Amino acid sequence: MTQVYFEDVSMGDEIGPMIKNPTREQLATFMGVWGGGPSRFNSDEVARSEGLTGVILPGHMSMALLTQLLTEWKGPSGRLKSMEVNFRRYLQPGDTLALKGVITDTEVVDGENRVTLDVYIENQKGERAQQGTAVVILPSK
Amino acid sequence: MADAEIDVTDTIDFDRSVLGVEVDVGSAEVTAEQIIAYSKALGETNPLHLDEEAAKAGPYGAVIAPPLFYNVLRVGAGPDPKVNFGTTGFDAGQHVEFFEPIKAGETIHARAKVHDVYAKTGRTGTMVFAVRRTTFSNQDGELKVVLDRINVRRDIRQ
Repeated sequence: MTQVYFEDVSMGDEIGPMIKNPTREQLATFMGVWGGGPSRFNSDEVARSEGLTGVILPGHMSMALLTQLLTEWKGPSGRLKSMEVNFRRYLQPGDTLALKGVITDTEVVDGENRVTLDVYIENQKGERAQQGTAVVILPSK
Repeated sequence: MADAEIDVTDTIDFDRSVLGVEVDVGSAEVTAEQIIAYSKALGETNPLHLDEEAAKAGPYGAVIAPPLFYNVLRVGAGPDPKVNFGTTGFDAGQHVEFFEPIKAGETIHARAKVHDVYAKTGRTGTMVFAVRRTTFSNQDGELKVVLDRINVRRDIRQ
């Protein structure tokens, strides 16, 4: 992993897109760790009874995918400080997710090199399934 | 739009006595196997999440969990504000602050409270927001994550 430094970034810089194609197998593995009974996340039958076409990803699974855009970008010495994400649309296995970010602010606060970003997940129709903001601390050169 | 919304919290029926009351909602042991399976499900590539040998030689001395791993810990939800409104509820998002990473071998303790309940009426009707705050720490009291989970209730007949 390469390291990005605070001095290298500025407002308006874009990061990504990182493309993710979550599969049914990955969702099943995820649900195996989370556990719980039949739900819209692990049973097509339950999902259909709720008016969905089939199983959907838990919102926090999609958000965890979005988080990877930041953890891969920040490098080993960067730190993800906070995230605020709104869940707007559900995503399903087989969807193509484009994870994107844009830097909206850079400032030094309490000795921390804070980079604030808008982050979002776009589906294959160009709709924003999740969007929010994140703060990443980057090292200085 | 925000400027057209009216705060109607006072008109909403919910249990105000639970506001701000923090309770223990349980603890969960974290294994390397859980973290590795979770990381594979997300298509993670960082060896610190996937490879026990590499992680042991790394800065944390154990496999560390990706930032959102706290979501799969089986702990309780905490006090219920019993919002008596609407026909449907959904998970509207999370606000989360990260401290130290969760490591394999730790026991994570969670405490939760109803942080806020508020209601707004706007162009698309009334929505009631319940914000539940959960604080995750390890067995030594080391702070891991502070999570605000936002649930929205609305009346789809409006």
